[in-house]
Amino acid sequence: MPPMTDPILIDDLTLAYGTQRVLSGLSLRVPAGSITALLGGNGAGKSTTLSALLGFTRAQSGSIAVCGIDPAADPDGARRHIAYLPENVALYEHLSAVENADYLLALSGERQPRDAIVEGLAAAGLQEQAWDQRLGGFSKGMRQKVAIAVALLRRVPVLLLDEPTSGLDPRATADFNALLVQVRARGTAVLMVTHDLLSAADIADRIAFIEAGRVAHEASASGAERFDVRALHARFQAGGAKVAA
Amino acid sequence: MILFRHECRLLLRQRLTVGALALLALLTMAALAGGMAEVARQRAAIAAIPAAHAEDIGAIADYVDRTKDAGSAAYYSFHPTWDAPAPLAFAALGMRDISPYILRVRALGLEAQIYDGETFNPELALPGRFDFAFVLVFLAPLFVIALFHDLVSGEREAGRQRMLEALPNGGRALLRRRMALRLLLLWGLLCLPFMIAAASAGVAVSAVLIVVAIVAAYLLFWAALAALVGRLRWSSVANAATLAAAWLVLVLIVPTLANVAINASIPVHQGAEIAMAQREAVNAAWDVPREATMRRFYADHPEWADSAPLGPRFHYKWYLAFHQNGDARVADKVHAYRAGLEARDATGRSLGWVLPSVGVQALLTQLAGSDLAAQLAYQDRIRAFHARLRAFYYGYLFRDRPFAKADFDRAPRFKDVPRG
Ligand SMILES: Nc1ncnc2c1ncn2[C@@H]1O[C@H](COP(=O)(O)OP(=O)(O)OP(=O)(O)O)[C@@H](O)[C@H]1O
Ligand SMILES: [Mg+2]
Repeated sequence: MPPMTDPILIDDLTLAYGTQRVLSGLSLRVPAGSITALLGGNGAGKSTTLSALLGFTRAQSGSIAVCGIDPAADPDGARRHIAYLPENVALYEHLSAVENADYLLALSGERQPRDAIVEGLAAAGLQEQAWDQRLGGFSKGMRQKVAIAVALLRRVPVLLLDEPTSGLDPRATADFNALLVQVRARGTAVLMVTHDLLSAADIADRIAFIEAGRVAHEASASGAERFDVRALHARFQAGGAKVAA
Repeated sequence: MILFRHECRLLLRQRLTVGALALLALLTMAALAGGMAEVARQRAAIAAIPAAHAEDIGAIADYVDRTKDAGSAAYYSFHPTWDAPAPLAFAALGMRDISPYILRVRALGLEAQIYDGETFNPELALPGRFDFAFVLVFLAPLFVIALFHDLVSGEREAGRQRMLEALPNGGRALLRRRMALRLLLLWGLLCLPFMIAAASAGVAVSAVLIVVAIVAAYLLFWAALAALVGRLRWSSVANAATLAAAWLVLVLIVPTLANVAINASIPVHQGAEIAMAQREAVNAAWDVPREATMRRFYADHPEWADSAPLGPRFHYKWYLAFHQNGDARVADKVHAYRAGLEARDATGRSLGWVLPSVGVQALLTQLAGSDLAAQLAYQDRIRAFHARLRAFYYGYLFRDRPFAKADFDRAPRFKDVPRG
């Protein structure tokens, strides 16, 4: 049975840190089985939007729901439906890839057998010889793969990504994007914060552009409002210039 | 349970943590072994008393038997008293370490004999003996600090905190589990060796339970302090420095200052001064008219007043009478001395209500029978025994009964209180 509502629903959200208003009237929805790229200049409030979805920060007004759960009221309830990849992935250096996954899954209350874990690691593109190696010697891309494997193994309806491909080389970025396409096929609602316009244009179903605390521009991969990478790039630069000024 | 196993693996993968835990286990076992060796040494010394006593008496018995003089018997014979260690003494040697636990007394003036070692506030004293109480009170907090100071800040600094918190139950529940695991490990490393030692020493189960509860409470205090500091969201280094400073203040500085303050505000003459005053009184008595000495003695002890008057020759009953008069002369001082010690001790103990390190030390030495109260109780037993000793020899001296070799067997024998 398809879910009644979209897994991610944000409506007219206003959020401030103290007196500094970050979001003012942000609305966003991410349907199941789709990828939305969230764009915007530095400090636009992209990470803050993810924080609100995870129940880390509380909005002043508006509504927010993760699979129908208000994360501010029931953070653990919301988090049960969310897999989250923070901006900088850091795992346990003195545990192996499999042990990291085993541990984090156990923490989430979603233990899985080793077979499933190594399958997940393989699906995330981690070479077999790295499975039982400690993370201490891993490259950034390898760590990212372990983290994404954990996120995918959790098989939750919502995936939040904060600049997942920053620092990855083009090859790793392409691998990662391919993986996201698979995840979408599983019916996951993916919200991906990114500065990588090409990736966004490549795989996102929708692109939301945050400016002045709200979604100032939205475009989809197909149809009338189909986005144009050049126009977006120009817009991005203008926004970046505004922030810098 | 699974989650605990996971946390355990995570913790034990850190070489520094494993090293710290191993060190704590080692220190605990060394302290217990040291305490048990010391108690065994004291027990052996006490066990050797009867033989040594028989030998001592044997050495003078023939001479006494020839003179039949009870005075010589009283003068030359030493009678042992002792304070057997309680079963738990190995864990907290307290005052047993510096105060005498064996004292041989004669029927002469007691106050010149009884202050062999000085007494002090054991719960406020700087680390003395390396025993279990020392490891718990002084060292265990450092291990708590080592394991707890970076519980949250470490995850934050490693960049994992956000990811963990984003997991369901990755916040508070995870933190609580990690704290519980660390507490349990520290508690186990302290208490398991202790329980084994206690079992072999025959400590009552109830006392063991109290001690392990004290250990838990003390560790909990330090863990709570670490958690409180952790809430300030400082860096791990700042947390460690703050907690180390707290340790220094709570465990070393405040108790030391309190000790100084208490000693200054409750002046107590040292026992040696009383002994000196008693000796002076006794020395002066040689120049006092003998009849005056006897009058004074009979006034205090009318039960001997019907004794025959002194002849022209030296009589030991006069000698022993002025010894006892000397004791009477310093009785007020003795009283004040004891009251002062008890007041100091009470003040030190009341400090234990606010200073956990002091409180734990006080509780452990109390349970182990190595606190001031136990020391004073031993003094009381010595006094009671000494009174019996006097009565025994006076019975010969004041009634002019001859004292034969066999009479030594009738002398009162010190009986230690059975401890359990
Ligand atoms: N915990 C916080 N307390 C106070 N202010 C914050 C906090 N987190 C973020 N901010 C502020 O809110 C604004 C939005 O921050 P946010 O991290 O959401 O931006 P972003 O869009 O993710 O930017 P970037 O592209 O640099 O990651 C910034 O001005 C930032 O300084
Ligand atoms: Mg951000």
